[in-house]
Amino acid sequence: MAAKVDHAQFRLIIPSQTRYLNLVTGLAKRAAVAAGMDDATAAKVSIAVDEAVTNVILHAYHGEGDHSVELELRFTEQALEIHILHSGQGIRSDQMVLPDPKEYIKHPRKGGLGLLLMSRFMDEVQFKADEVSGRNECCLIKKIS
Amino acid sequence: MADLSIAVRQIGDVAVLLPTGFINAHTVREFEEALEGLVRDGRYTILLNCKDLHYISSAGLGAIMGLIETVREHEGDILLSNLQENVFAIFDTLGFTQLYRVFHDEDQALAAAAPGRKG
Repeated sequence: MAAKVDHAQFRLIIPSQTRYLNLVTGLAKRAAVAAGMDDATAAKVSIAVDEAVTNVILHAYHGEGDHSVELELRFTEQALEIHILHSGQGIRSDQMVLPDPKEYIKHPRKGGLGLLLMSRFMDEVQFKADEVSGRNECCLIKKIS
Repeated sequence: MADLSIAVRQIGDVAVLLPTGFINAHTVREFEEALEGLVRDGRYTILLNCKDLHYISSAGLGAIMGLIETVREHEGDILLSNLQENVFAIFDTLGFTQLYRVFHDEDQALAAAAPGRKG
């Protein structure tokens, strides 16, 4: 007898190139709507995914376009989980330093806002490393209210 | 449809930038070049009419942040109008609505930018 699956999931693998961001954010938005979220919430999920994938392409892979970024979407009764896996340079959750928006406004500069948007728009943002596979993961979770 | 196209109009002293599409890490260079081109030409009062902007990521916000001090040093400003709900949410979440003047529509923004102007 087949094992009972308590959630649905699927995967998408893209080259580490920013030209595919639009495809990925469109998918994330539609996945959020399919999970039962309203359009405004789905838009926030798609922005968080854009930021996470951009970070992988530009920082983990240093802009090199010949790597892979894997997205795994998991639909549960409680939440939509988006796992972004890669083999580039990783960060840990305890290394995630969020800028203070008030300080940022006093001293404007480029960069540093992506993590802040991810953390504001999602319920959970986790960074993990799999020592066995050598892959790193950013996990974005949005609860279904 | 291209990911991003940008139209520019000059109305009095205000350069009106009309981005259509998406501003993310892939398209941000085009957006940055448009903004930098205006500043190079000495057009320091810039209105971003966002009526056809469906999406802006932190890459696009960084491009705006990178020029705000320069335009204000030259007594100009960057104003925003016609923000769609999700674009407004991004600006507001990061506190940028305190940093930039945001208007409901282009006419209101132009009136605020050049109070004496008619039409």
